[in-house]
Amino acid sequence: MLKVSSLSKSFNYRKILDKLNFNLEIGEIGIFMGKNGAGKTTLLRIIAKVMSPDQGEITFNNFNLLKGSSSVRQEILYLGHAPAMYSSLSALENLKFALKIRNSSLSESKIKNELDKFDLIDQIDDPISIFSQGMLQRLKLAYAELSNWSLLLLDEPFSGLDSSGEDKMHEAITNWKRSEKTLCIVLHSKQKAEKYGDKIFYLKEGKITLP
Amino acid sequence: MQPFFKNRTNSLILFLVIFFLFLNIYNIIYNTPMVPDQHWAQKIFYVHVPSAWVGFLSYFIVMIAGIMFFIKNNNFWDNVGLAAAEIGTIFISLVLITGPIWATPIWGKPWIWEPRLTTTLILFLIYIGYFMMRSFGGHAERVKRYAASLGIIAFLDVPIIFVSVQFWAPEIQSHPQVEMANQPPGILGAFLISLSIFTLLYILMLKYRIYVIQLKNKVIHHV
Amino acid sequence: MFFTLFKKELFIEFRTKEVVLSMLIFGLSIILAFAFSSNVSKVIVANYAPGMFWVMILFVTTLGVHRSFSYEKEFDAFSLLVGSPIDRGMIYLAKWLSGSIFLTIMEAIIVIPFFKFLLIELPSNFLLFSMTSILINLAIMSVAILVAGIAMRASLSEVLVPILFFPLVSPVIIAATKITSGILSNDPYQLWQIWLLIVVSVIVIFVLAGYTLFDFITEE
Repeated sequence: MLKVSSLSKSFNYRKILDKLNFNLEIGEIGIFMGKNGAGKTTLLRIIAKVMSPDQGEITFNNFNLLKGSSSVRQEILYLGHAPAMYSSLSALENLKFALKIRNSSLSESKIKNELDKFDLIDQIDDPISIFSQGMLQRLKLAYAELSNWSLLLLDEPFSGLDSSGEDKMHEAITNWKRSEKTLCIVLHSKQKAEKYGDKIFYLKEGKITLP
Repeated sequence: MQPFFKNRTNSLILFLVIFFLFLNIYNIIYNTPMVPDQHWAQKIFYVHVPSAWVGFLSYFIVMIAGIMFFIKNNNFWDNVGLAAAEIGTIFISLVLITGPIWATPIWGKPWIWEPRLTTTLILFLIYIGYFMMRSFGGHAERVKRYAASLGIIAFLDVPIIFVSVQFWAPEIQSHPQVEMANQPPGILGAFLISLSIFTLLYILMLKYRIYVIQLKNKVIHHV
Repeated sequence: MFFTLFKKELFIEFRTKEVVLSMLIFGLSIILAFAFSSNVSKVIVANYAPGMFWVMILFVTTLGVHRSFSYEKEFDAFSLLVGSPIDRGMIYLAKWLSGSIFLTIMEAIIVIPFFKFLLIELPSNFLLFSMTSILINLAIMSVAILVAGIAMRASLSEVLVPILFFPLVSPVIIAATKITSGILSNDPYQLWQIWLLIVVSVIVIFVLAGYTLFDFITEE
């Protein structure tokens, strides 16, 4: 279970998250919605430990994510707005490196197969600085498919995708749901939220409220 | 929050500090012996050295506050660090002003890269960087972590800076202040009195500055 | 994990050559500035040469280290490292070691133009000069990477890095100048060995501090 208790975060003393609490069981998909600036991205980045909270506790399967050792983050994969990859490296090089620092080295052929599935095989040796936003989203999706994780944090996964990309994302989320993986997804579309989410959390004034 | 000087201890310290400061000035002017070669210029010693002591003590407290901030994750320690950094810089500035004033009649030049003054100057520059980092480091919550880190690094660097500057130009004599044990009689006692008064003044200033920072956070930022 | 991070630093630099090239070009410009501003006798320039060399290295380090962290900010690549199950102190160690290598490569190229343009004799004991320079580079980088890590996300980071870096690294500059001076003058080792101790102390203190503090510094 992912358990978030009393999570608070301020930026220049302005409270973005205010003693936020929620739970997510294993295998559940939690959708986070709210206005721009409500703190959805901040929340995901704190769970990923890319950002530190002012106070609060986060546990995943009883492991303290905030105070535990780095190995605790093995189970968690964060895919934010930005590609979070090196612009001068190619898709293949980025994936090889990203997987290696997650302690999972896969063969080059396996990575190429995955990139082929996401229509990125033709650009496999190009630096990702030339990729469009949709291509970067698909690259992130390939990364998620190749990595081992129990908890995936997805920030607006559908943004910038064409219809084929949206189909691939839909397929991926559906498969993950079937494999009982835990997901936290930030979405703006209520329709998609109801389609995928087991629990919908609405962020308002730093707290989880009803929509 | 209760007004700072409504607290009995704080008002007592304030009264004592004011009283002893005047006493100190009187003592320095009338009771301390005149050093043969230096005459009145030597009297700055009673302000210069205690200022240096307080300044370095303050920077040490910045380092401790930084460590405590990381351990306790409590904003109070950031307030202590900031207050100590500000007050330390005031006293260090005093050292950098009184040092050349003392040196000019003795050495004929205000600045000769004397090891202790040079160390003080480097530390002063590090802390100017500290305040710039506080201003431009980003949002307040992130800056606290950076400030704590910088406070720790800065003081860890002090012994290395001092040793390297000491060996840098051994032909440059130390500031016209002989070792404490070799001071003529009458100087050591007055110096220790001045040192105690400056330390008391520092404690009051630190307490008051922490109070002001906390009050500001409460009133403006509702923290 | 350290070798993965270290190899990544080297690989990106091998691909882009941004850090070494920018340091090199800037270094050459500084040598030119020194040459134009030194219309004095060869003897005087030779006396100042050790200091001038290390001042030049300080300036190029500021540029190189800023660039080294800039590409982490592009595409938010740094959150890939920070969000991974790695010990964040390893990021510091990888950047420290790789930065020292880049600085050494740049120095190896620029040392000859430096001495020749300023009309100074090359050190007769070039091996000793090279070995001590490598040690000094490690010390300079240990401070620079820590400072750049702190200033990375700040606005005006290109201003903050030199302002924080220069005073903190002053013991290394004093030591570096003394060591190089001693080597150029063929002084016996005993005369300048104390400065090597100071350089090593800086490395030990700052690497330990950097390894420990990077966990706190890297989070937003």
